[in-house]
Amino acid sequence: MRKLLFGSALLPLLWLMSGQTWADAAGGAEIFKTKDCNGCHYTEGPAKEKTIEDQLAKKGPELWYAGSKFQAQWLDAWLQDPQIIRLLEYNSLDQPNPGGHAKLAADEAAQVAAFLMTLTSDVVVAGKVKPKSNPKGKLIFKKKMPCSGCHQYEDRGKILGGKSGPSLVGAGTRLNPDWILAYLKNPAEFKPVKMMPVFAGLMKEKDMEKVAAHVATF
Amino acid sequence: MLKRIVLLILFSTVNLLGAGVVSAADGDQLYNFYCAQCHGQGGKGDGPNVTQDFATDPRNFTNADEMQKLSDADIKNVVLDGGPAVSKSALMPPWSKTISEADVVEITKTLRKFCNCEGPTG
Ligand code: HEC
Ligand code: HEC
Ligand code: HEC
Repeated sequence: MRKLLFGSALLPLLWLMSGQTWADAAGGAEIFKTKDCNGCHYTEGPAKEKTIEDQLAKKGPELWYAGSKFQAQWLDAWLQDPQIIRLLEYNSLDQPNPGGHAKLAADEAAQVAAFLMTLTSDVVVAGKVKPKSNPKGKLIFKKKMPCSGCHQYEDRGKILGGKSGPSLVGAGTRLNPDWILAYLKNPAEFKPVKMMPVFAGLMKEKDMEKVAAHVATF
Repeated sequence: MLKRIVLLILFSTVNLLGAGVVSAADGDQLYNFYCAQCHGQGGKGDGPNVTQDFATDPRNFTNADEMQKLSDADIKNVVLDGGPAVSKSALMPPWSKTISEADVVEITKTLRKFCNCEGPTG
């Protein structure tokens, strides 16, 4: 019965996906359940967090728009060999991230990545942001706005910046550039309750594009 | 238990009022979530973001000498509009699209507990 429901929810995707990817995604969804990944990550949108308590009760980041947020290749590789992204333990301000995230074998990782890549948000407009280092984006990130106060980034081989936000070192291979812009423009869609300030309405749209293009080169 | 119920009631009323902006109406909780990452859980300006390359130290809220120079209105200004709005560092973020004015009033009470001081009168 569960399988049936799952199948019908994904039915429209059948038209878009080749048979092979379809089988992978379905297998990936199964692995996601049997490995208890959903004990710490939820995969059905829209965003559920309404209060600070809701956010603090989470054991891991939400994955319901993973297909819009991540680059498929990065996801596949990370699931096999997870590296620390957030420097502090999830939802902690004083404990370092202990690491040791669940690891998957190559064939499982491929299937789970295929599954996660089917989870998308239609708020993300494709093809808007081209990764490009630019003076305005850099100025905003380092000086005009507090981004660097909470996010690590690499500058001439040195790792600088704050620790409360996910590290943006390697964001250029991890994140979908269009998602970075969508998140800045419409943060409530993805993270209604978060420690990062809302900049939409305080920054010009052009500036958000510039900073997104810049972060996408990290 | 009673405290929980009271909080819940407070909470739902504030929710009705605070259009769109997340509200919780508990100054300490709001402070710990939004401010402690830079200003520190004890308010000493030593949150986890303050590494050696952090250009300007966040205000130490336990320093009464400095904090009594700031009126509640000054605090509200800098919290809503960010450091540059009062010629201070851009590392102090603008929170006007994140935190409601009512919640800034609650957070200010928490800051006043840290310094055990009041702002200038008159
Ligand atoms: C005990 C809780 C827990 C379990 C179980 C768990 N995760 Fe995670 N997961 C986390 C945490 C915490 C992070 C953040 C890690 C970091 O930032 O370094 C994370 C990060 C991730 C990320 C990156 C998300 C992002 O926004 O950075 C993916 C993808 C992921 N997990 C997939 C999985 C899969 C697949 C499984 C099952 C095999 C799984 N997780 C099991 C807690 C968990
Ligand atoms: C006060 C700290 C703070 C500031 C300032 C801040 N961020 Fe963040 N940022 C965070 C936190 C915390 C998260 C994670 C939110 C969550 O997942 O709940 C985040 C998430 C992000 C993400 C998504 C990363 C991921 O892997 O999920 C991007 C991209 C980002 N921020 C960019 C920026 C940019 C650009 C600026 C400046 C315009 C900025 N941030 C300013 C704290 C901050
Ligand atoms: C990204 C780090 C960061 C975060 C998060 C942050 N602050 Fe600050 N704050 C600073 C810095 C840095 C200064 C010092 C600015 C200066 O002296 O130029 C500061 C200064 C202040 C001041 C003193 C302003 C003055 O005129 O002297 C107040 C009040 C303040 N912050 C309140 C808050 C509150 C309340 C929050 C949470 C809603 C908060 N801050 C979150 C970094 C931060």
